[in-house]
Amino acid sequence: MLRNKQEKRNDVSIRVLQVITVTIMLIFAGRLFQLQIIEYDTYGPLSLANSIRQESVSPARGLIFDRSGRMLVDNQPIYTVTVTPANFDSSTIPLLAKFLDVPEEMIEERLQAARRYSWHRPSRLVTDISFHRFSQIQENIWKLPGVGYYVESKRHYPTDVDGSHILGYLSEVTQQEYRSSRRYSLGDKAGRSGIEFIYEQDLRGEVGARYVRVNALGQTLGPFEQTHMGRTPIQGADLYTHIDYDLQHLAEDLMVGKTGGVVAMDPNTGAILALVSSPGYDLDRLTGRIDMDYWMSLNADTTNPLFNRAISTMQPPGSTVKPLMGLIGLDLGIIDPETVVTCRGGFTLGRLYRCTRNHGRQNLVEAIQNSCNTYFFSLMNQTMNRVGLNAWHRHTSSFGFGQLTHIDLPHERRGILPDSSYYNTHFGSSRNWGIGDLISVGVGQGTFSSSPLQMALVASQIANGGYRVRPHIVDRIVYPDGSMIAHTQERERVPWIKDEHLKVIQEGMRKAVSEGSGRFYADISGVEVAGKTGTAQNPHGIDHGWFISYAPYEQPEIAIAVLVENAGFGSISAAPIAGLMMEQYFHGQIRRNWVYQYVKTFTPRERDDRNESNDEEVL
Amino acid sequence: MAWYRQFDWLLIICWILLFSAGLVAIYSATLGPVSQFLPAYIQGNFLNQVAWIGISIIALATIQFTNPRTFQQISYALYVICIILAIATVIWGVEAGGARRWLVVGGLRFQISEMLKLATILAVANYLTSRRDISAEHIGSALVAVVLMIIPAIIIILQNDTGTALVLLALIPVMLFWSGLPYGISLFLISPAIVAYFAVINWKLGVAATIVLTIAVFFIQKRPWLTSSAFILGNLVVIGVQVALYQILKPHQQSRIEAFVNPALDPQGAGWNVLQAKTAIGSGGFWGKGFLEGTQTQLRFLPEQWTDFIFPVIAEEFGFIGAGLLLLVFTILLLRLLSNAGEHRHPFAQLVIVGVAMTFFVHLLINLGSAMGLFPVIGLPLPFVSYGGSAFLSYSIMLAICINFHFFKREFSIYS
Repeated sequence: MLRNKQEKRNDVSIRVLQVITVTIMLIFAGRLFQLQIIEYDTYGPLSLANSIRQESVSPARGLIFDRSGRMLVDNQPIYTVTVTPANFDSSTIPLLAKFLDVPEEMIEERLQAARRYSWHRPSRLVTDISFHRFSQIQENIWKLPGVGYYVESKRHYPTDVDGSHILGYLSEVTQQEYRSSRRYSLGDKAGRSGIEFIYEQDLRGEVGARYVRVNALGQTLGPFEQTHMGRTPIQGADLYTHIDYDLQHLAEDLMVGKTGGVVAMDPNTGAILALVSSPGYDLDRLTGRIDMDYWMSLNADTTNPLFNRAISTMQPPGSTVKPLMGLIGLDLGIIDPETVVTCRGGFTLGRLYRCTRNHGRQNLVEAIQNSCNTYFFSLMNQTMNRVGLNAWHRHTSSFGFGQLTHIDLPHERRGILPDSSYYNTHFGSSRNWGIGDLISVGVGQGTFSSSPLQMALVASQIANGGYRVRPHIVDRIVYPDGSMIAHTQERERVPWIKDEHLKVIQEGMRKAVSEGSGRFYADISGVEVAGKTGTAQNPHGIDHGWFISYAPYEQPEIAIAVLVENAGFGSISAAPIAGLMMEQYFHGQIRRNWVYQYVKTFTPRERDDRNESNDEEVL
Repeated sequence: MAWYRQFDWLLIICWILLFSAGLVAIYSATLGPVSQFLPAYIQGNFLNQVAWIGISIIALATIQFTNPRTFQQISYALYVICIILAIATVIWGVEAGGARRWLVVGGLRFQISEMLKLATILAVANYLTSRRDISAEHIGSALVAVVLMIIPAIIIILQNDTGTALVLLALIPVMLFWSGLPYGISLFLISPAIVAYFAVINWKLGVAATIVLTIAVFFIQKRPWLTSSAFILGNLVVIGVQVALYQILKPHQQSRIEAFVNPALDPQGAGWNVLQAKTAIGSGGFWGKGFLEGTQTQLRFLPEQWTDFIFPVIAEEFGFIGAGLLLLVFTILLLRLLSNAGEHRHPFAQLVIVGVAMTFFVHLLINLGSAMGLFPVIGLPLPFVSYGGSAFLSYSIMLAICINFHFFKREFSIYS
C-alpha cells in the first residue's frame, strides 16, 4: 500500500512538473510568436535603422569669378588625419609623429581626447596637412592601424587679389545654426561676410545623402546596397562678379598702409569694378584650419580690419558735394550758371566762415573748379532762407545720401543726411538750431556723413546723366544645371535733374581736374577725367582726404570714389590713387611711375597752421 | 532485447540536435562577418566548442559503462570536493564578466559551479533516499536537505554568479517536492519567487499573485496556518521587493531591473541588451534572415551572443521556425526526462533525473526569459547551445547519468 501510495504520488508529481514545463514553454512560444510575427513590423525596421546610418555628403561650394572669367575663389582639398583609438597601436606614435612632423606629446594628447570622445569612431588628429605629408601617410597607412584620413575641402584664393571685404570669410556653423537648419551639419562652414555671406544659399548647394552600414560600435562598413535611397549632392552655384582683377589688385596695392576705402564702378550700371577697404585681412589665413592667433589679433586690432570702410564708414564728404549743391541750387532757381559771388576770403553770417583763398568773382563752374567755399556758403544760406532745410534734404537725398544703396554686401550703413527732424532729435530743446548749423553742411561738413560707396554713386549719377543705379558685385549666379539669375538693371532717372544744369556742374568737375585741385595727380593723359577733391574735417586728428571722379568726361565708363582717412588734403592723398586707377583702367598700365612711387611712400601732413580754422573747407 | 534498444535514443537525438544548433549559432556569432569586430580568442570559440563536444561524447559513452550505483556511492565525496573547490574559487578564482567563477590550475580553467550543480543534485538525492525514515515529510531531514543546497548557493553568491545561485535555490522546492513534501507546502515554498516576479513588474500585480497563490494553497491543503502564512509571506515579499528595488540593490542591479520593466527608459544604457535582443528576435520574422545574414548578430549589436544571448542569434537568422523548433526540442527533452523519472523504480535515480530536468528547466526559464524580455537579464547559458566548454561537459554528464539510469533501469530498480 505504501508502495502504491508512493507511486501514485510520483505519477501526480510528474504530471505537475510536465504541466509546468509545457506551460512555460508555451508561454515562450507565444512570446516568440508575438515578437516575430505580430511585432515584426516594429522590430524589422528597428534592426534596419540600427545598422543603416545616413551620412550627409557635402556639396562643392560655388566658385567666384571676376569680370573676365578669372577665378577668384575655388575649393582646395584639405587632408585630415584621423585616429580610431580602439584600433590604434600606441607603439606607432613615433612613426606617426615623424610623418606628420609634430611632437609625439601632441599626438598622445589628441589621442587622449579622441578616447574620451569614442573608442570606435574616428577623431581628427591633425587637420589640413600638406599634400606631401598626406601622401606619406597614405603610402604607409598599413603600418599605422587605426589611422585614417578625411579629404575635405576649404576655400582657396588662387590670385594675388585680397578681396577680403568683397569675398568675405567662412567659419564653422554654430550649434544653434546646424540645429535650426537642415542644410547644415556639425563641422560645416558658412559665409560670414562679403558675398560669401550674402549668397550663402546659392554658393552652398544642396547637401546629398548616402547610406552606410554601421555596426554597433559605430564603425562604418561601407555603402548600403540599396543606393536608390541616397541622394547625390548638388554643387553650389558659381558667382560671376564685375570685379576687374587688375583694378582691384592696384587699388589694394595703393591702399596698403593707409586707412580708408576705394570704390570703382561702372556709372551706367552700378557694377562694382573694385572695392577696397583698408586695412584688410588675409583670407588665406582664415580658411581650412583657422589660424586662431591671427583671428584673435584681427579682433583685437584697433584699426578694425574686419570693418568694411568702403561701405560702412561714415565721414563728412567735404567739398566733394559741391557739384551736387550747385546742381540743386540751379534746380531750385536760387542761382543760375551766370550767378557770380565775390569771394573775399570768406563768408560772413554772424561770424566769418573762411575760404581758403581770396578767389574774387566766381561763377558756378569756377566755384566748383576752385572749390570756393564762399560761393557755396552763400548758396546754402540762400537755399535755407528761400526753400528751407527739408526741401534741400529732398533734393540731396535723390543722390542716395542717408539711404542704403542695397549693394550685395552685408553691414552697409546709411550715413547721415540731416533734415529738421534730425536736428530736433539731436539738438532738441536744449538749444535752438539754426542757419549757423546749416551753413557748413552746404560744403559737406558738420553732421553730413557718407561712405565711399555712396560718393561713388554720386559721381556715377552725375556722370550718367542723373540716373540712379543699384551698386552690385555679382553680375550673375550660374547654377550647376546651367540656369542662371542675372542682375537686373534698375535705372531710375531723378525727375528734377535737367540736362543743361548737369552740363554746368560736369564742366566744373572737368575743370577741377584739368585746372583746379585735381590737376597735379588726377589729370591723366589720353582720357578726360572729371572729379572733385574734398577734405573732411576731423575733430579727432588729421583730416580725411576725399576724391570722387569719373571718366571719360564725354562717355563715362568708370566712376571712382577714394577716401583716405587721416591723410590731409584730398588733392594730395586721395586724388593720386584715383588717377592711377584711371590710368590702369584705360591704359592697362601705370604711365606715371612717379605718382605710383609718391602714393606708395605717401605720409600725411598736419594741416598747415596758416589755414587753421574749424569751419572752413580747404581745396 | 538488443542492448542498444535500451538506450534512450530520443534523449541522445535531442542532445545532438541541441549542440548542433549551438554549433551553427556559435559559428555565426563568432566566425560570421561579425568576426572582424571580435578579438581572436573569441573567434577560437567555435573550435573550442567542437573540441569540448568531442570530449563530452567520450564522457557520455564512458558513463554508459558505469554502474549506476557508483553515482550514489561517490555523491557525498563529489559534493565535498566540489564545495572545497568552489571555496577555493572564491578565494583564488579568476574574474570574468564581473563574476569570479574560474579556477585556473596549471593553465587550465575550470568553472566549478557547473559541476557543483550536479554534485548537489547527487548528494541531496542520495541523502533523501538513503533511509526509509528520511523524507521531506519530516521536518528534520527536510532541513538537512535544505542546508545541503543552501551551502553551495551561498558559495556561488560569493562568486557573484547570480544565475547559478538561482538554479541551486530553485532545486530546493523541486527536490523536497519530489521527496514527499506536501503539495501545498511546495507551492508555498515557490510562491515567494512567483510573487517577487510580479512584484518587480508592479506591486499591484504582486498583491494579486499573492491572493491567487493563497487561494491555491488553501484548496490544495486546507490548513489555516499555511494559508495565512502564504498570504502574509506573499505580502511581505511584495513589500520586500519594493524596499529592495529602491533601498538595498546596487545601482547597476536596480538599472537592470528597471531595464526589464521598461527597456525604452534608457535604450543606450541598461536597456540596450534587452532592446537589441528583442530587436534581433523580432526582426527575424517567420523564416529568419538566413545563416550569417542577421544584421543584429553580424554587426555586433547583440551582447554575449555566443553564450547568454545565443537564442536571439538563432531567432534572428532562422526565424520563428528555427527558434520554435529549438523550443520544441527542449520541450521534448524535458518531458522525456520527467517521464523517464516517473517510469524509474529507484528513488535515487528518480530524484536525480527530476533534479537534472528541473536544472535544465530553470536555465531555460532564465536564459530565454532574459532574451525575450520576460525576465531581468541574468547571465546563464542555454544548456547544450551556448558556448562554454566545461558547462557543456557538465550538462552532458548530467544527461549521460540520466541516460545511464534509464539504460540500467531494470538492474537498478530494487532498494539496496
